[in-house]
Amino acid sequence: MISGQDLREMFAAATSWLEKSASEIDALNVFPVPDGDTGTNMLLTMRSMVEESYRAPDRSAAAVADAMAKGALMGARGNSGVIFSQIIRGLAKGLDGKDSFTAAELAVALRESVEMAYRGISNPVEGTILTVIKEAAAAAEKQVAENEVDPVAVMKKVVAAAGEAVARTPHLLAVLREAGVVDAGGQGLYTILEGALRYLTGEAEQLQFRKPQIIVSDLPATARLPQMIGAEEIPYGYCTEFLLKGEKLNTEKMRKRLEKRGESLIVVGDDAAVRIHIHTMDPGHVIQYATRLGTVHQTSIRNMDEQHHDWLEMQKEKTPIADTAIVAVVSGEGLTDVFNSLGVAAVVAGGQTMNPSTKELLQAVESVRSEKMIILPNNKNVVATASHVQSLTQKQIKVVPTATVPQGVAALLAFDYEADLSTNVELMQKAMEAVRTVEVTRAVRNTRIGDIKIKKKQPIGLLNGELVAAGVDSFDVIKKVLEGMDLQKAEVVTIYFGHDTVQAEAEQVSAGIRELYPHLQIEVVQGGQPHYNYIISIE
Amino acid sequence: MTVKIVTDSLSDITGDMAEELGVSVVPVYVRFGEQIFRDRVEMTTEDFYQRLVNSPVLPTTTQPTPADFLDVYQKLAKETDEILVVNLSSKLSGTFESATQAKRMFEGKTRIEVIDSRAVIMGLGLIVIQAAQAAKAGAGFGELIDLVHSAMPRAHSIMSFDTLKYLAKGGRIGKAQGLLGSLLSVKPILRLRDGEVHPVTRVRSRAAGMDYLYNFVAGFEKIEGLAVEHATTPEDAGQLINRLADIYPKERIYQSTVSPVIGTYVGPHVLSVSVLEAEK
Repeated sequence: MISGQDLREMFAAATSWLEKSASEIDALNVFPVPDGDTGTNMLLTMRSMVEESYRAPDRSAAAVADAMAKGALMGARGNSGVIFSQIIRGLAKGLDGKDSFTAAELAVALRESVEMAYRGISNPVEGTILTVIKEAAAAAEKQVAENEVDPVAVMKKVVAAAGEAVARTPHLLAVLREAGVVDAGGQGLYTILEGALRYLTGEAEQLQFRKPQIIVSDLPATARLPQMIGAEEIPYGYCTEFLLKGEKLNTEKMRKRLEKRGESLIVVGDDAAVRIHIHTMDPGHVIQYATRLGTVHQTSIRNMDEQHHDWLEMQKEKTPIADTAIVAVVSGEGLTDVFNSLGVAAVVAGGQTMNPSTKELLQAVESVRSEKMIILPNNKNVVATASHVQSLTQKQIKVVPTATVPQGVAALLAFDYEADLSTNVELMQKAMEAVRTVEVTRAVRNTRIGDIKIKKKQPIGLLNGELVAAGVDSFDVIKKVLEGMDLQKAEVVTIYFGHDTVQAEAEQVSAGIRELYPHLQIEVVQGGQPHYNYIISIE
Repeated sequence: MTVKIVTDSLSDITGDMAEELGVSVVPVYVRFGEQIFRDRVEMTTEDFYQRLVNSPVLPTTTQPTPADFLDVYQKLAKETDEILVVNLSSKLSGTFESATQAKRMFEGKTRIEVIDSRAVIMGLGLIVIQAAQAAKAGAGFGELIDLVHSAMPRAHSIMSFDTLKYLAKGGRIGKAQGLLGSLLSVKPILRLRDGEVHPVTRVRSRAAGMDYLYNFVAGFEKIEGLAVEHATTPEDAGQLINRLADIYPKERIYQSTVSPVIGTYVGPHVLSVSVLEAEK
């Protein structure tokens, strides 16, 4: 059983725990607006909550939770702070009438938290604090369903589930993925739950010597494409927050009324006090509307463009400037992801029959914060264009003349973080030469190679860019190309299947090759490239 | 009286080696849920990987307590007036802090010096081995301290990984974060530099990883010490040692396994070499 006293102390401990990493959580913030104050906002919300909890009329869990909910609402700041106050309000609702609570009651209360958190927001987004509380509550329910009666054991699973949910946030939200961070609000909630757990396990004393861990994104930061950089110029407007006190306040009506006034709207509270948070271009209108309904308190209006500017400056200092950056020319969503995941600084769309212009390449080069760059053209028709860029920029540019996608991947992988530009060019060139490329496409016209007659649209196979085989289907072609090669020393085969090819067929091709050459390690990757049904790398 | 050398279990100096060298090894802790084990003492590398694969919870690690070090200091104080403690990089673990705190707690006349080696695994191991051999040969306290400081910048460790999953979960990924999340299966190669983990490059196959490690060693002009370690792949380690024999006498290449604590971060299938470069 957890008593009201425990509940209060748990969150008091959680507050000091959160305090230690508030600034690091600030630095994570990119959603909904990259302004960098999530950690601080949650901390201030917690402080107000804990302070109020000491004013509870008695020590029952219900009274303490009620006071906490009130304190959280009164002191809520920022998006995450307001959502957190809803979580506490749900908790209070779930603990209503309880002197202390069991594991099962904890699970019920957490479910109320989820409901309340989602309800306060007009447009809930996954990959945020919402997902984290949802997964945490689900973990509690699962434990209870498995007959766990110890609330501490349940909390342990809750914290573990919250941590996993935080780690997954970049998978759910593209802005996080691009920035290579986890959601700040989610991280904040995880830290709070972890702090609470440490109180329950009797480790509160030790907290002063330790520091919460910021969960790292398991996805790499992928650079924004040059054309997306302009998006920064869209103004964010004003982050407007205040507390409205009055009688018979109707949150539903207010939410409807304000919905069209801006983004990230949150309206939460009860009929006597409502907290409103909105990102709007016209804060005056919002406040004016509110003053008609009651009295307005704790008003805060901040210019987010300014905040965002400061945040960008802070990020600039934080992002390590790689000494040498790489720009690659790639087409196909899957292949773009592959190159991004291997750490290119920018991808320029292009390839067979859609060669990028010098200008596009130059833009990409200029958009990357690095003075030394390597371009991977990945197509023999792009090599010349890429070489042009050298004379058009102040930056030091080298072109590693990769003619195929596999050559580009091999070159990229060989990049040595400790080597200088010219050594890297050497290493990459060597790696590029060591890989063999098989491409399968369809003949664009009737033709003939040696004795083989090829009909228009027939599957044909190229080895390192040379037409060497034709067949009845893709696998037939691949088989013929491989037969002509020495594969004794080959180790790894990577099959990138194209936009017009289905995964199941690619898997069959893979199984077919494995059967013929059991010593090879084969990997199938969705490349999504146009024109080529298959691009196969042999290393 | 000879100076006594103390290190921690992340030096990958195994029990046999420690006994032969007269080195005291303080174990770091590895924890699976509620169960806590002393590195190499209560859990061997083999047991560890068995558990890693089968356990529902991922292990975590905990530095030795100051009391663990104090215990060792007090025992050694009966045999010597001078104790030299060489710990793994303080950027990776609080072990150095514990050893330092224990020094403050220690009451007695014995002189104790604690050094943050900025190295780990056999990179640290090779420094400790050199110090222990010198101590046995009668080197004085000051001389040994100088020797360790001189060896530190010459100790290099490089590892070929199968996955960075464990390193990332354990929060020790350092500057290698950029190597995470690759959509192709690649084997990252990382290096320890200035006490932290740094990315070097990536390869596609285990054989290519081994080539990279071999070439890394071949790149040094003169070598004073060499060690090869593995976690679960003794054949790979053996093969690499055989190849390295054309660079450095085979019988002088130390072979070790990464300890369970290191295993927590590197996962299975790791292969590493540590080099103690000769003074130029």
